[in-house]
Amino acid sequence: MRISISAENRPIAIASLFIVVILLAGTAYTLSTTGTAPLLSPRYLLQLLQTGSFLGICAAGMMMVILLGHIDLSIPWTLTAAAMTATAVGGDMALPTALAVGLAVGLLNGFGVAYLRIPSMIFTLGVDTVLRGLMVAQTGGFAPQDSATPLMLFLAKDRLLGIPVAIFVWAAVSIVIAVILTRTGFGRSIYATGSREGAAFLSGIRTRFVIVGAFVMSSLCASLAGVLLTGYSAKAYQGMGNAFLLPAIAAVVLGGTHILGGRGRYSGTLVGVILIVLLNSVLSIMQMPEAGRQIIYGAVIIGMLLVYGRNQRVTS
Amino acid sequence: MSDAIVEYRGISKFFAGIRALENVDFACSPGSIHAILGENGAGKSTLIKIMSGVLQPDAGEIRLEGKPVTFPTPDAANRAGIVCMFQELSLIPDLSVADNISISDPPRRFGLIDSRAQIARAEDLLARVRCEDVDPRSLVRELSLSRRQMVEIAKALGRKPKVLILDEATSALTSRDVQTVYDLLAELKDEGVASLFISHRMHEVDALCDTLAVFRNGQHIETFAKGEKSEREIVHLMIGRDVEAQFPPKPPLKSPEERGKPLLKVQGLKWETKLNGVDLSVCRGEIVGLGGLDGQGQKELLLALFGALRDVDGEVTIGNRKGIPSSPAGAKSAATRMALVPEDRKTEGLMLGMPISDNLLAASYGKISRGPFIDPALARHAVEDGLKKLQIKIGSASDPVMTLSGGNQQKVVIAKWLMIDPDIILLNDPTRGIDVGTKQEIYRLMRELANEGKAILFYSSDYAELIGCCDRVSVLYGGRVVSEQEGDDITEESLVAASLNIDVEAA
Repeated sequence: MRISISAENRPIAIASLFIVVILLAGTAYTLSTTGTAPLLSPRYLLQLLQTGSFLGICAAGMMMVILLGHIDLSIPWTLTAAAMTATAVGGDMALPTALAVGLAVGLLNGFGVAYLRIPSMIFTLGVDTVLRGLMVAQTGGFAPQDSATPLMLFLAKDRLLGIPVAIFVWAAVSIVIAVILTRTGFGRSIYATGSREGAAFLSGIRTRFVIVGAFVMSSLCASLAGVLLTGYSAKAYQGMGNAFLLPAIAAVVLGGTHILGGRGRYSGTLVGVILIVLLNSVLSIMQMPEAGRQIIYGAVIIGMLLVYGRNQRVTS
Repeated sequence: MSDAIVEYRGISKFFAGIRALENVDFACSPGSIHAILGENGAGKSTLIKIMSGVLQPDAGEIRLEGKPVTFPTPDAANRAGIVCMFQELSLIPDLSVADNISISDPPRRFGLIDSRAQIARAEDLLARVRCEDVDPRSLVRELSLSRRQMVEIAKALGRKPKVLILDEATSALTSRDVQTVYDLLAELKDEGVASLFISHRMHEVDALCDTLAVFRNGQHIETFAKGEKSEREIVHLMIGRDVEAQFPPKPPLKSPEERGKPLLKVQGLKWETKLNGVDLSVCRGEIVGLGGLDGQGQKELLLALFGALRDVDGEVTIGNRKGIPSSPAGAKSAATRMALVPEDRKTEGLMLGMPISDNLLAASYGKISRGPFIDPALARHAVEDGLKKLQIKIGSASDPVMTLSGGNQQKVVIAKWLMIDPDIILLNDPTRGIDVGTKQEIYRLMRELANEGKAILFYSSDYAELIGCCDRVSVLYGGRVVSEQEGDDITEESLVAASLNIDVEAA
């Protein structure tokens, strides 16, 4: 008997299954080498989610933009710029400053894409480069304060009821995004605009506003991730966001969001993030050399997308 | 049946267990023009796709000149001489006309494309469809819909068909081009080509075809020679029941005083080179038609009124407010609400991959939300209402809208707009490419809406619709209204004359 899963849920189911496979394979490995199963301990899993929360928040924002059929390549330096500016300001104003930087970058990206009609791949790449230049200039002449504020440390490192606070932050962001996507006119308009912008516009949806809104959400998420990451590593530094761009895109796409927009569920992005973080972690536990890790990591992403792509021919 | 070029025996095709075609026998002989009739969803498109190698039958066999064959790809079918011109245009907009015509097999020199030979070939073929005015070097994007369709026919001819399949080939053509296609098919018939002609326009089928085949619900109901059955009998075969009069009765024509103040008044509307000073008015309770040849500014006029074009000049009064809406979002939410059913439902009217429910709600998120949040109960009610009001036949509201037939898709577009309870409804050729039954439902609905006091502006490329539905008709030519006709003065003759900008009295 065939279990029928809707096309939207198929990638999510496959990715979830793969997570289980990785966990079992990793556990089999540790059992055979050391005779223990650390991968299945709650401590390990919580720590996994804690380190995954930075990527998870970036991916949540990225998903809004990808649902529109656009992409936000300015994530790395938006994250860095928000973190560095926030620590430079310091004190109670650090967090609002970071979010303000995110808001500004998001408005700029949205304006460029929605009003100037520059392809997002080019525009956000340009913004990313400009932000990098600005940050280099900022640290070039003098050494601004770069250590994390107590609030940042609390958000990233502390535990509440035995659970890392970062996980709560990620959960809160997830709930907000999921509610926006499924239960608000703005969220449904994102899907409509990503599915067919012309038809959405002629349905009286304010498509430009929707595009700007999605880019603002993406940048805000990146800046929040920057705040957490600063707290986690106790300081802000250049290049701290570099490791997040491609995994964020990969997580969204592995979670079943269509790269050309219009389709995808937030739960898929969550699964995608966990899959990527877990895969990385298990490969390092297996003491795979860096080269092998990269090859496996890339091959898994391509392989899974191939699996999704089968039997999805569009019938017109 | 041994003289048939191509013969199909016991063809069946299922999609996810749903029958699209079942045990269909079909054959066509050389030198005939064969009409395939049936409502949308009757299986015509599936049959054509199987013939042209796009789909593989689940059962049955194909015999080409007596020998069993299979067509695993469209290319294989083309090589065998079975060429199909699809309803959805298959031209690539950013390539030139010549490139498009020779796209699958360009003339080569030394292994590279010989562009000079390609252009000469395109010129020959275009001359054959009497489109000498089309420059083979121009981009397809720059041509009007009607010209594109002719290029598509030229492209099909270039493949030297033995069997030529025309799927809704004339739905976007101007009357001059329709005549060209008629002549062409007659020529091909003399050359021994078998043509299959799919159309929803009965008079075309009547004028053109010698054999008629009727499909219903995936089954081949009957094939008979032209003239054997009356139009009424044919329609009966197609839909399996009788139909009443095609158009709903019109109310008696009102004098300008009775009509009252126009709800939509347009004076001197200009936009780029397409609109050169349009004047017209629409009052509550009336259906005003827009006539004229394809590409005379009708589409732009409707888009301009809906706020979708920039830098539009002219005086527009909507309800009590002067000025053109700044965007479609503004047009639908103003005090006098406006709705537009656009020309192309697949790209402008619907988000094809999205669920039916989302498509229905796309214009009314404001209405079904409390604060920023959508109220699921209100949303469900709205969807149910919309489906019921237009009697849209669906499996589940969460199915993608592209799984519906053309007629039901168009109903979804209309239902979406009725949800905002618009005062002014702009319709751009809403019945293009949909089946007879649904067309009649749309005509009835239009009249009901007008009777409820809505103002309707209705563009159609089909004169019969303008005559049958409209209280008044404004004919556009070169971006201006050249003729206004009322009531019984609207005739096919007067519309054609006005479309060509000929003065009827003088002619």
